[in-house]
Amino acid sequence: MENTFVVNIIHRPELSPEYAEKVNGRGKKSGVGAKSLNDESLEIFKTQQRLAHENGLKTTIQITYASLFSDDIIRIAKEDHEKYGDEIAVSLLGLPCKEFKEKYKTKDFCIWMFSLEDKKRIIDDVFGMFFEKFGFYPESTGSYFLDAACLNYIHEKYPTVKCAIATCWEEGPKAYHTCNNSWYTFLDGGPWATWIPSKVNSNCPAVDQKDDCGIVCIPHLSRDLIACFDGNGSNFGTHPQNVIRGMIYNKDGDLPYLYNLVDEYRNLAKYNNGLSYNMMFVGPGWMNKAGRWEAPYELLYKSYKNGMEYYGKLKKEGKLIDMTMSEWATYYRAHKTYKEPECALWKDILYGSSKEYFWYLDPYLRTCLDFNQGGAMIDLRPYVAKLDWKVGIGTDHIYDASYPYLIQANYRAGYFTHYAGAGTVKSCKVTYGTEEVDLCLERCRATYSKDGLDTIVTSDIVDIDFSDFTLKVQSIFRFKYGTGEILITRNIMNDIGDKKVTFDEYFTGAFGTTEYQSDMSKIKLQIENKIESKNVDFAYKCRIVSLKDAKVVRAIIPDVNTIIEMSGDNDLGEFEEGHAFSPSYRLSLKKTLSKGGLTTCLKLKKED
Amino acid sequence: MSQAKKGRLNYRCPQCFNRDIDMDLFFDEDKKEYYCLRCCFHGTEEEVLAQNEQCKHKYHDMEQRVDSFNKDDEPIKTHKIKKGEM
Repeated sequence: MENTFVVNIIHRPELSPEYAEKVNGRGKKSGVGAKSLNDESLEIFKTQQRLAHENGLKTTIQITYASLFSDDIIRIAKEDHEKYGDEIAVSLLGLPCKEFKEKYKTKDFCIWMFSLEDKKRIIDDVFGMFFEKFGFYPESTGSYFLDAACLNYIHEKYPTVKCAIATCWEEGPKAYHTCNNSWYTFLDGGPWATWIPSKVNSNCPAVDQKDDCGIVCIPHLSRDLIACFDGNGSNFGTHPQNVIRGMIYNKDGDLPYLYNLVDEYRNLAKYNNGLSYNMMFVGPGWMNKAGRWEAPYELLYKSYKNGMEYYGKLKKEGKLIDMTMSEWATYYRAHKTYKEPECALWKDILYGSSKEYFWYLDPYLRTCLDFNQGGAMIDLRPYVAKLDWKVGIGTDHIYDASYPYLIQANYRAGYFTHYAGAGTVKSCKVTYGTEEVDLCLERCRATYSKDGLDTIVTSDIVDIDFSDFTLKVQSIFRFKYGTGEILITRNIMNDIGDKKVTFDEYFTGAFGTTEYQSDMSKIKLQIENKIESKNVDFAYKCRIVSLKDAKVVRAIIPDVNTIIEMSGDNDLGEFEEGHAFSPSYRLSLKKTLSKGGLTTCLKLKKED
Repeated sequence: MSQAKKGRLNYRCPQCFNRDIDMDLFFDEDKKEYYCLRCCFHGTEEEVLAQNEQCKHKYHDMEQRVDSFNKDDEPIKTHKIKKGEM
């Protein structure tokens, strides 16, 4: 397939935008329902529509609950549908308005946080009103997040729906902290690109048709896969407001970073069979006449105008196809298979560093390799477990919709710790006598390739300087298609004579969705070889257990229904139980070599 | 002493911004200065704006436009943008 770059432009005509709802500190009361606010919001929506159309782009209009009470919005949506081919969809964002608050008697506005009963009631209300106003049911919907319960219900009750916005990539503890610990949207661990969710957990891609929730989902905005992982997610996405919020503009009000971000998404076609995707999804609240943060209205307007002009320019050059959400869902289903991975070899485009991350996801796992740390695994999510993680009032997870990690090197340290303990990371240590070097300290880059259906990522050759010789090592990561297995090979690339080095391929893990570890007492650590097996029930006792020629070393984590297994080349296998100060577990396989290499396998399995 | 208000624009605390926290600044009419509720930052509008510019220093490539993403294991190629360049 020739490279295809598809863009969804989505406008949300809120009349009581959530950002404008609380005009704090200006000596004014809440503005919900105020006529001036309604009028301004309507004008902003019209401006956004005009800018898209002037640049030859069609949009998806996500009608909000409050907008369903506006004859003006309904008229404009119908007119623009007729004239420009815009799709009229319904949003489950934008619930707060006088009518909603009077009816539901709540200040909650995030659909996934309601009780299951209320989710259904609200969805029926919104879809029912939409039908009354437009005479048909929508083909697209969305929110910042949609859990499996919402998606399954929508699919069952409103089968016209093909496409939904269903997560906000890596919006979790980072967003919470950025908002002065006041914004409870914990949505970490999902896909950064389009996916078809599982019926069981919407963060996980469906493994097959039986598991398919019936709706193609897209993330809210296309986000910078380095900047958003390392820092505040809300500053680095394909929404001009993100870039404005990050103050990533110069004195002329130019935002080259926004164009670079779009272009880097275009570049991802290289890793995804020629297909790449972008979405811009905006409401009116950020573009009001009073300005937003430090930015005056003129800059806000310019940023959106420039964004639309850039997409329009790409379209004119034949480098972009604008689609509505439902068109994209149909196209996506026709061009993707369930088990086909989504990949992104992402380079830093903002900080001027040489940092390069490789992101990978399929129905079995999501992971990130950091080649600024020799290819260390800095994020790992066990999709294979397909956790039945119910969200909302009345469940065990009122607001926490994140998919748990086994490794998250920023939340739970990584290679670097202060004085004591160990952080979550998967890497390899190389020892020679008393000298030890971790590949985490080897800055390099990587190259992507395919071998059949397997995805291969190969690091540059790195030098490990010991006191009397240099060892050259290359790492190769093979993501085995449809298995949840990653084969990791460490090859010696130079002649080191009869010197012997020991490779310690290790996995230091934990589990959770935030920076804080819950009780690990249910974890079981196991190791076995051809002759015997040894087990430890985790009790924070720092026990280390080894076996020669290990067949497998394993951690069983009932809290996240996951089994982690390491197997492959080794002379010695080992596991280590953590302690209270450093709550983690460590699995390792060691092999001593003079030439050649070692290959180990990391496999994630579901624990029942 | 009267209560604090917001300023002309919705300035954020530059020191908190640098640690990834968005904290709105409030304006003290009596002292004619902005101040932060969370940290000890306080300053005039000029000082806020000057520190905002300093916040941007971390974005080394903020004014660079990507020409090519290059081969996987090679650096991206960029050039400095001209005014209004897309």
